[in-house]
Amino acid sequence: MFRIVLFFCVSYLFAAGELLVSNYSFAATSFGKGKVLVFSRGDANGGFSLLEFGTGAPLRILSSEFSIFENDVEYTAVHDGILSDTKAELRRVPFVKAGKLGSVLPMYELDSTGLFRKPAGFISMRGVEEGGLSYIPLELPRISYLDTSFSLMDNALSAFAYDSLSNVLWSAMGTSGLLRYDVSKGFGNVQEKTLVLNKKEQRLDTLTYGMELKFSNTPSILGLALQPEKNVLWLATSTGLWVQEETQSAKLKLISGLEKSRVTGVWLGGTPTQIIAETSEYKSGHLENKLWRSLDGKNFAEVVFRDTTGKKIKGVYDGTDYSVSDVAFVGKQVFVAVRTVGGAESGLLKLDSLGAIPWEAEENQWLYGFEAGVVDRNTIILSVNDWLLPNGGTGLAVTTYGNGISVSADSGKTWQPVLNQAAVGKNLSSIRMVPSVIAADGESLIAYNLSKESKVTIEIFSYDMRKVRTIVKDALRPASAGRSTNAAEDLWDGRDDMGRAVTMGIYYVRVKDNHGHVGWGKVMTLGGR
Amino acid sequence: MQKIILLVLLLLSFVQASKEARLGGFDGFVERMGASTRELGRGNTGSADTLAMPGAYWNPALLAFRKNIAYSLHAEKRDLDRAGGSLGIEGKIGSRMGIGAAVLYRGDWDFEVIDEDDKTLGNAAPFFSMMYLGFSYRLTRRDALGISLSMSYDNLGISKYYDDIDVEDGYRSPLTFNIGFIRQLNAKWSFSVVVRNLSFDENLTARWTKTTSGDNSLESTEGVRPKTLQVGLGYRSVLFGRSAALWLEALDYQLSEVFLAFDPDAHYWTARLGAEYEVIPKGMLRVGIDGENFTAGLGYAFDIRIGKKKWPFEVNYALVYESEADLWNPLSFALRGYIP
Repeated sequence: MFRIVLFFCVSYLFAAGELLVSNYSFAATSFGKGKVLVFSRGDANGGFSLLEFGTGAPLRILSSEFSIFENDVEYTAVHDGILSDTKAELRRVPFVKAGKLGSVLPMYELDSTGLFRKPAGFISMRGVEEGGLSYIPLELPRISYLDTSFSLMDNALSAFAYDSLSNVLWSAMGTSGLLRYDVSKGFGNVQEKTLVLNKKEQRLDTLTYGMELKFSNTPSILGLALQPEKNVLWLATSTGLWVQEETQSAKLKLISGLEKSRVTGVWLGGTPTQIIAETSEYKSGHLENKLWRSLDGKNFAEVVFRDTTGKKIKGVYDGTDYSVSDVAFVGKQVFVAVRTVGGAESGLLKLDSLGAIPWEAEENQWLYGFEAGVVDRNTIILSVNDWLLPNGGTGLAVTTYGNGISVSADSGKTWQPVLNQAAVGKNLSSIRMVPSVIAADGESLIAYNLSKESKVTIEIFSYDMRKVRTIVKDALRPASAGRSTNAAEDLWDGRDDMGRAVTMGIYYVRVKDNHGHVGWGKVMTLGGR
Repeated sequence: MQKIILLVLLLLSFVQASKEARLGGFDGFVERMGASTRELGRGNTGSADTLAMPGAYWNPALLAFRKNIAYSLHAEKRDLDRAGGSLGIEGKIGSRMGIGAAVLYRGDWDFEVIDEDDKTLGNAAPFFSMMYLGFSYRLTRRDALGISLSMSYDNLGISKYYDDIDVEDGYRSPLTFNIGFIRQLNAKWSFSVVVRNLSFDENLTARWTKTTSGDNSLESTEGVRPKTLQVGLGYRSVLFGRSAALWLEALDYQLSEVFLAFDPDAHYWTARLGAEYEVIPKGMLRVGIDGENFTAGLGYAFDIRIGKKKWPFEVNYALVYESEADLWNPLSFALRGYIP
């Protein structure tokens, strides 16, 4: 049973320059022509931002609306292990458009340790109603465990698919099986049921009270995708990749080649339709991850990684310990957002008909991230989504951990950051350090504004005005209405020119241009090692 | 005079001798910035001057030369919202001993706390302080030995802005000690040696752990206050019938945690040079160089009769030009005096 527990309709007027609830943006989805809906969760609060873009290049934001989870609300859409969880399916934030339900995200409550690690249902973002963004948290009934050895998070919602013809939302719920949420008769008469995969009989069984289940015969549902033109459901499970044999049938077929694999996710889209699947399982004491693709809906082959000379390179995906956090399709191209546990490496893999497209990178030539210009700051890339451009084309939106989102209107050739930026004074009259307090291994962005192109020198001074670091010297920076900061270079990491972490304290940042302007900012470091 | 010029050139050659080390990244800026306006005006020199105050800070050996209870108070405001000050009190014990205490303060009264989301959370006023307690014994009429115990306390004042992290605000260093010696060579010359920031650790290095969060959500860090050798030389004379003095100090900061480092890259050498002249009776004009900073100052001594006793006072003013940062700081004032 689902029950509606709360309804909020909050529209905030944000300060100028604030486009997102937070720059920690975890998921984005298309919300109609020219609109991107973003879920963010920062230190202070979390919530939705609806960005509307105008036509033309570069993409221009026409408006933004917000809906914030109040601080005392004890649920959120992103669980606390989103970066660190070793299970690939738990490092994703599924966010899909779901007809009458608007757009849906998972919902987590606080567990007994005070962390958001308790799957509780899903959040339905309805859109703009009565002048504001509104959402409904839809609570799940108490989850019944198939096996008490599982943790709460083994029941997390790791994927959604919406059948727009029958108005049914499908949700992968791990060990709790598959949720079918039918809103065809309206919200007052929701029909929902839980299905489990009967491996032996190769079919979906409706879970009923008192039903006896054997875990060995009931694989966890880790991912799912809907093939709209055929209305066929694909299921990524702990034992193989399954597909409905016939429309609306309970009978399933196991995909050969992946029948023994732990398939953590399946994604489907593009023109013509492509299917991406990821397998992740422990073999000989190490986690083996593989990326698969099917171009015909039947046969799956490992995604080929080739170098810039065209030579195939084996073991790339497994060797990097990536896992898929999201997949976007633009025509024949596929964009796969991947990252390692903890997010030390993250970015996009671009797939064409031959496989992953390499580029002239020094280290990982298949990963498109900070160095490739997807984001303008070295932050973790969390997801990628396609969205409907104002002109009807397909755009891309990448969410990041701390740098808002990046959007592209040209199939990933160029990217444009969208993030909250407080105003800084003209001609270095004010310098803003973001954040102004950094801990060990932290970085602070030096934000400033120039009214004309200038050569800039940035230096760090201790309290007693001894120079400890030169960040850049006579570096060319553009004029800007907002900020002239080069987010890739104008950063201080709390270290001196010798690379030694400076001691805890307050430091002063001087920005000088070649036109005689001087500005000062302040930053505090809690020290490093 | 030739000897003095040679010595000045030698000391100035030490300045920035090592380009590898970055002194600003180490603990101890409160101590490095000096205490009191009188000494600041002449390049932050005071370790070889028996009248320098607070003696517990400049050179604990100076305390043995006090004849009365003396006090000093100084306050200054520097550019970029930096405020500082010091307070000292000292006096004699018996005929050969002296005791003194001092507190040094530096802070920033307007630090904007901005989070990762580019939102201003509020403003903090972090401060950094050093406390000294010194003792001295006069070996002869002309020379004395002293020791001072010192400790720092810093408060960042930011924890109230972080609800989800248990950020620590206050940090206290362990007890360290400083040893000082002064010798009045004759009526004109004085010489001093001060060794600062020795700890009771096996390497005598003032090093301590700073636990930045109460819930281990942030990585802890370490503080290291460099061992410092400070050698001072003073020369007093009369020029055109008025008193004049020249002060020199050479400082060696050891930027290493070992007992003694012989690698030049582990040392930062700098020098201080100050001169003062009595331009009017009891009115002093001072100039100085402290590393790369240039200073100037004024001082005037006077007495106020209260009852049957005359109370000596001295007011001082100084300005500092921090040349590396190109900042002028014209607001440093001090009052000192003796209780008769």
